[in-house]
Amino acid sequence: MPRPRPRPRPRPRLGSRTGSRLGALLAAVVLAAAAAGCATPQPTRITPQPGATGSALPPSTATPDPSPSPAFPVTLVDDEGTEVDIPAEPERIVSLTPATTEILFALGVGDRIVGRVEDITLFPPEAGPIPEVAGFGTVNVEAIVGLEPDLVIAGGNFFTPPDGIERLRSVGLTVLVVYAPDVDTVFADIELTGRAVGRGDEALALADAIRVEFDAVAAATADLERPRVFYELDATGAIYGPADESFLAEMIALAGGDPITTGSPDAFEIPLERLIEADPEVILLGDAAYGVAAEAVAARAGWNVMTAVRDGAIRPTEDVIITRPGPRLGEGLRSLALAIHPDLDLPAEGGG
Amino acid sequence: MTAASAGFGAARARTRRSLLREGARRHPRALFGAVVGTLAVLVVLAVGFGTVSIAPETTVAIVLHRVLGLETGATWSAASETIVWDLRIPRVLTAAMVGAALAVAGATFQGLLRNPLADPYVLGTASGAALGAAVALLIPVRIVVVEFGLVHAFAFVGALIAITVVYRLSRLSAWSGMTSLLLTGYAVGSLLAAGLAMAMYLSGATLRQIFAFLLGGFEAATWPRLAIALPLVVIGTAGILWRARVLNGLMLGEEAAAHLGVDVRRERAILLALGSLVTAAAVAVSGLIGFVGLVVPHVVRLVVGPSARVVLPLSIVVGACLLVLADLGARLLGDIPVGVVSALVGAPFFLFLLRRAQSGYEL
Amino acid sequence: MTDFVATAPPPIVEFRSVTLAYGRREIVRSADLSIAPGERVALVGPNGAGKSTLLRALTGLLAPAAGQVEVDGHDVADFDRAALARRIAVVPQLAVLPFSARVEEIVALGRLPHEDPIRGPRPADRAAVAEAVDRVGLGRLLGRDARELSLGERQLVLVALAIAQSAPIVVLDEPTVHLDLRHQVEVMELLVDLNARDGTTVLAVLHDLNLAARYFPRVLVLADGRIAADGPPADVLTAARIRDVFGVDPRILWGAPWSAVPADR
Repeated sequence: MPRPRPRPRPRPRLGSRTGSRLGALLAAVVLAAAAAGCATPQPTRITPQPGATGSALPPSTATPDPSPSPAFPVTLVDDEGTEVDIPAEPERIVSLTPATTEILFALGVGDRIVGRVEDITLFPPEAGPIPEVAGFGTVNVEAIVGLEPDLVIAGGNFFTPPDGIERLRSVGLTVLVVYAPDVDTVFADIELTGRAVGRGDEALALADAIRVEFDAVAAATADLERPRVFYELDATGAIYGPADESFLAEMIALAGGDPITTGSPDAFEIPLERLIEADPEVILLGDAAYGVAAEAVAARAGWNVMTAVRDGAIRPTEDVIITRPGPRLGEGLRSLALAIHPDLDLPAEGGG
Repeated sequence: MTAASAGFGAARARTRRSLLREGARRHPRALFGAVVGTLAVLVVLAVGFGTVSIAPETTVAIVLHRVLGLETGATWSAASETIVWDLRIPRVLTAAMVGAALAVAGATFQGLLRNPLADPYVLGTASGAALGAAVALLIPVRIVVVEFGLVHAFAFVGALIAITVVYRLSRLSAWSGMTSLLLTGYAVGSLLAAGLAMAMYLSGATLRQIFAFLLGGFEAATWPRLAIALPLVVIGTAGILWRARVLNGLMLGEEAAAHLGVDVRRERAILLALGSLVTAAAVAVSGLIGFVGLVVPHVVRLVVGPSARVVLPLSIVVGACLLVLADLGARLLGDIPVGVVSALVGAPFFLFLLRRAQSGYEL
Repeated sequence: MTDFVATAPPPIVEFRSVTLAYGRREIVRSADLSIAPGERVALVGPNGAGKSTLLRALTGLLAPAAGQVEVDGHDVADFDRAALARRIAVVPQLAVLPFSARVEEIVALGRLPHEDPIRGPRPADRAAVAEAVDRVGLGRLLGRDARELSLGERQLVLVALAIAQSAPIVVLDEPTVHLDLRHQVEVMELLVDLNARDGTTVLAVLHDLNLAARYFPRVLVLADGRIAADGPPADVLTAARIRDVFGVDPRILWGAPWSAVPADR
């Protein structure tokens, strides 16, 4: 009824209603917190049983262990700064990032992986049969717990949901979080992973091998002019490219290019105008795997003014090896350098 | 079967159904007992099923051991025990609690606002909680007190702030109480939703987490979180149950309620506070799960009539059943969002009931 | 032996120089009114005269800008709502239902002021509801959804609600507005019955002067915020007064009591 009605004369009340309401609320919360602190049952902790589950592998005789000091127990600091205690060499590992899966296989412990994250561009193929226990942005805590792992390697920067990591740790699992925002950290992560699984020396060797490849590319591109390179991640809606100071931008720079970036470290979108103004000399199609072809790019409205389009310098790349912070990064850098400088003179692959 | 006898058969079927409905209406206690029994069965089923298959005997043995300290001679791995006791049971119990809370809050708001389309979120609580959670996720600080993180606390506080603002603003308007509340709730809710959209736009990598909160779910259910939210829900629900009489009185309108002895202004504030408390606690632990708060009270009313004395307790147990079932379904279907499953399960059932309702259910 | 002086019973409702206003707009000016227990009073007047406002003041929904409104000798403002509801039962014009409800469930609402908050309706409450239903003759409507009923039947349900309230005063706000002839008569007869058998004080705001004259021994005429006349219908509803208050030129036929009784009684 829209007609204004005067209120009845207020009867004396016991003080502000809202005040007493909030007060009761506060009391309830405090009481509840106190009760929770006293009464919650402790979560069961899973104690890893070294050698109790799975087959105990005899120590490898192919490469005698040169280091005299015992590798375990060890306390490592992961990429989030958390100290992680690993009491014994892990026999059952869950890998929650595709790069970690590759690293573990490269280190020769691929057969210890009992669960892995979903990966469309799976590598190596031997990883196929391993059960998937996580997807992009989701993690199946129950499945992981059911696998009884003694080490879980998760992805930082929200790759693995932080809630999931917390949950896994709260039930007593050992979780190591890796996150490589730049190339140097990739090497550090390979070494970290190696130490975590008792393959420290192999990891150092792997990292060195990748460094050799990086050095080779650096040497080959040292005196070359650096073309302006735009690395397209996706252009179905807005145009996505490398952010400022990102991993991808660093890779492009190392490959002898001058990366065109979005203008801010947090933005991944680049407005078309900015791209036209930046005028790339080379356009690399990171989305080539999704069927984006050079002719389609050249036909896009407004793109024909770019040097790269006029010169026909639109080339596909295998995005996975360039952006995955794993053992194939050296190969990735090579392919990136060749995409930027097609006539690049690089020694044959394989060194170290 | 001739047309006549077919018609007669249909009439007999209708009579049987209506007898069932009459029976339910006249014996609400028996119906309550039946639903509680169903809830118990559902809880057991939900704890027994999951991604990892654990034998039912093992599940029972684990529960008996943890709860009563009984040794049954069965053995199980530490992993099984963790899964059953630390993962599944808190999750199922949280689902039951949230279902109960949302259903009773929905019934309360529907009775209070005399609007069959009201749900627990109608007065801005949803937008307030979501914005609170988004703000918490965007703050680069992680504070956790007894596993109740910043997100949960901010969601809780955000919901309550929203409803307080709505209540205060609605008092200033010239419209009568409930209409004013609804309209103000809509306006404030829209404002907060705009704020949320902005936060999501600026959020970058955190967007997925904010979105996960919005979709709602029980993956993060833990014993400590349950222990904090449960007393709030229990207190709020008890307060509401105590006021069933008031909700009944409001059925014919505010003036009629006043004539029947209801102190409308005071009761409106109290019921709002209790309903919001319960909703905020539910949203804080499980995000925004829709559908339950709106439809469960209607389903209950279709069976037992509008008296709050019966509708409130039944809504509590039916809501709990629905969400436990929905969570089980969500888990078995590959961890899809609970809100999706509850709507998929509940909506057809509701439509079925509507069709069968003897007297057309008009709004 | 002491002689007991017979005194008139104290008024059950009393308005003393009551002024009622919405903001600065005065609706009722300095009204004086006294109703004894067991009276049957009709309140008539043109639209906007303040009849509904007067009722609001009586039921405590509107505080007087001046003067006192008293029920049973106590100021209305001093009653808590439930206590007042046990004294006064109100029959509104019509009520809108947001949910479907059965007739008996609506009538049961009348017991709210008496109900125990925890235990709910007790046998005494159920008996009162059954009696009210019986009295109003709603037996054949039991179990029906109230929203399916005709307007007349719905009004009867609201009257039954008020009867179930077991209050000594029953106030009705234009109860016959939407009713057909038969239901108008039914309601009026009910009021007479309530008044005669239970001694319930009845105050009804009516727009129909004929009904007022026929069924109420006392008629109050409210015009322009003042009580223009107060007394038996023959004295109050004169041609002059009606012309004055309502602006209509009436033809009054006294001595031809118009009476329509439902055929199935």
